[in-house]
Amino acid sequence: MAISVSQIPHGDPNVDQLYAETRDLRLNGFLLFMVSDLVLFSSIIFAYLYLRNSGQGWPPPGFSRLDVAFAAFNSVVLFGSGVTMHFALENWKHGNFIKFANWMVATIVLGAGFLSGQGYEYWTLYQKMHVSWSGSGIFGASFFTLTGMHGFHVFAGVIYLTVLLLQATNGKYTQHKHFGLTAGTLYWHFVDVIWVLLFSIFYLF
Amino acid sequence: MAVAAAPTHGGGVADHIHPEPHSFIRRYIFSIDHKIIGIQYIVTAFLFMVMGGLLAELIRVQLMNHSGTFVKPDTFNELYSIHGSTMVWLVIIPLLTGGFGNFVFPLQIGARDVAFPWLNMLSFWIFPVAGLMLYSSFLMGAPVAGWTEYPPMSLLGGPGTSMWAAAIFLIGVSSTLTGINFLVTILKMRAPGMTFTRMPLFVWGQLATAPLLMIATTALGAALAALFIERQFGVPFFDPTRGGSPVLWQHMFWFYSHPAVYIMILPAFGMISEIFPTFARKPIFGYKMIAFSTVAIALLSFMVWAHHMFTSGMAPFLQLPFMILTMFIAIPTGIKIFSWVATLWGGKIHLTTSMMFAIGFIATFTFGGLTGVYLSAVPFDLHAHGTYFIVAHLHYVLVGGSLMAIFAGMYFWYPKMSGRIMNEFWGKVHFWLFFIGFNATFIPMHWLGLLGMPRRVAVYDPQFQFWNQFASISSFVMTAGILVFFINAIVSLRTGKKAGANPWGARTLEWQISSPPPYYNFKKVPAVLAAPYDFAEPLPYRGLEGELDPNVPAPVAAGH
Ligand SMILES: [Cu+2]
Repeated sequence: MAISVSQIPHGDPNVDQLYAETRDLRLNGFLLFMVSDLVLFSSIIFAYLYLRNSGQGWPPPGFSRLDVAFAAFNSVVLFGSGVTMHFALENWKHGNFIKFANWMVATIVLGAGFLSGQGYEYWTLYQKMHVSWSGSGIFGASFFTLTGMHGFHVFAGVIYLTVLLLQATNGKYTQHKHFGLTAGTLYWHFVDVIWVLLFSIFYLF
Repeated sequence: MAVAAAPTHGGGVADHIHPEPHSFIRRYIFSIDHKIIGIQYIVTAFLFMVMGGLLAELIRVQLMNHSGTFVKPDTFNELYSIHGSTMVWLVIIPLLTGGFGNFVFPLQIGARDVAFPWLNMLSFWIFPVAGLMLYSSFLMGAPVAGWTEYPPMSLLGGPGTSMWAAAIFLIGVSSTLTGINFLVTILKMRAPGMTFTRMPLFVWGQLATAPLLMIATTALGAALAALFIERQFGVPFFDPTRGGSPVLWQHMFWFYSHPAVYIMILPAFGMISEIFPTFARKPIFGYKMIAFSTVAIALLSFMVWAHHMFTSGMAPFLQLPFMILTMFIAIPTGIKIFSWVATLWGGKIHLTTSMMFAIGFIATFTFGGLTGVYLSAVPFDLHAHGTYFIVAHLHYVLVGGSLMAIFAGMYFWYPKMSGRIMNEFWGKVHFWLFFIGFNATFIPMHWLGLLGMPRRVAVYDPQFQFWNQFASISSFVMTAGILVFFINAIVSLRTGKKAGANPWGARTLEWQISSPPPYYNFKKVPAVLAAPYDFAEPLPYRGLEGELDPNVPAPVAAGH
């Protein structure tokens, strides 16, 4: 059933509607970027679970379980930074620029705190338990690769948020046009979600 | 001058017009114009095809004699490893996505460019750099484990194997960025009125391919990074002596590389779906079924990867679902083939070179698809795995399928890219040399494989020598055909017949503007009223009246 062109009235609803839908491309692009980043993490997580289940039990002989209490505390620090980030963006949207800056600083400090916590954990593992990236079989390989990838994301995020804060104080964004801040917030929540996954597979199960 | 030409339609981002590039560098080297980037991809990929083809001929020369001494066995391993990697990552994928994708689909959806032109430029420039990195691995001891680089072999290969992993990783980054870019463009930047069911089928092909580029390639990136880290820093992932698993690599690799097969064929399907209705002067048969089956293939492609691993030690209860799901893929593929044949049926067929390649595509691709169904059956696969039957099958789908479609597309869109038509006589010479040479090269490999000749060997049992010599000589004929194509493509730039806007009488949007299209594509973004394939009706567009009229001025660029 071919649609005859002459039958289509001049005010074809599809014509007007579709054009109105064309909005911010960058947000869509950024969301898709996070989807592919998620696939990257998922692939390595798959590799970890595969190796873990094909081996001789977990943790492998000779390794004790990781320190859950400390990691839990460190997780709270990271999730806290997610909350402060949320408040920062909300305040920006309502025009409270001073409060925005305060919450941003809190987020950055908490993010850096998480990184130091992770550094401390790496150091104890290496010093006390002699667990290393290349010298401890698939245990060290998967733990340091995955948490390292995540840590790198947090590190990049701390830098990114600092840049955003500087840009915002220099007047790059307005109350209603603030794509960079939205993207930063999305990214930061994304890093939190990844940590939930990593925390469960390494420390809880 | 800012107020001059307010866009006529609402004027969202999609109507943004870049300023005209004036310097040579901005226009042709670091261009952000999707059309120039598309042509850059095509030229670069064809240059790599010359390299990959050269490697293939060296392989065939070695195999002329059952105990050939043309190259050392180690060199032979390097030759086929780099040949395969080149053809997959530097030729077919860039041609179909970055090349034809970039040039054609934004025009077909009535956009002025892709969503992220700068990102597009970055995607392109990663590609030649990664290609040169791949070839530099020859200098340091190239990879020897084939394009699939299975560990533990790839862990033992020369230092170039790490370079290989890094190069393919970069190509993957480029693919991922392209996928994101294309997906946003197709979803958000279609001309007003172009609903999903009014999109040309080539756009459907790109729409289904973009998520594969985005998702599958990232998974491959993870595997490549792990291989690189294991080789360079000794971190165990795949080495079984240190707790790793070689089979893990196979899972990660094929989770990408099976969908990659569809990255290499779905855009080709789209091209064929444009060429058939145009030269049969008939609406495409089963538009919605073709579009739907494209998406179905893309979805199924993520669920079948382990059919490459039937011999790798897999639980039998897992083999069955992978076998059955693989066979399911034949259904949407069959739907397409029947729709194309039905499109030709009773049409007024114009046998241009492009059409001949498209018809040849159906023959060879169907053949390659059928051997694929054989191979999906576990018992048959156990027999044919790792033999020349696989080599025959994959060349039938990648050369007889993807590459034939690429040639069909070259003859079809060359006039739009250059403003001139490629010489038809030499085009037909190209077709016959290529078609005969190709089939004569690869048909014998089916029985060589069934008789048990293993792939990837530099010397072989004397009983296989006759058909190997036959294949080698035929491959020279095929290469001669490709040489004719290259010469034709270069010479026609100057001497080809002037094309005009629409030499084939095609109905999609890119043919309604001048050839080559101006940097802003459309003077006025048109409104789309129906799918483009109904040859009995007038063109389903509004707002194109001024496109070919020199008195209508170009639109004014906005911003920067
Ligand atoms: Cu497959």
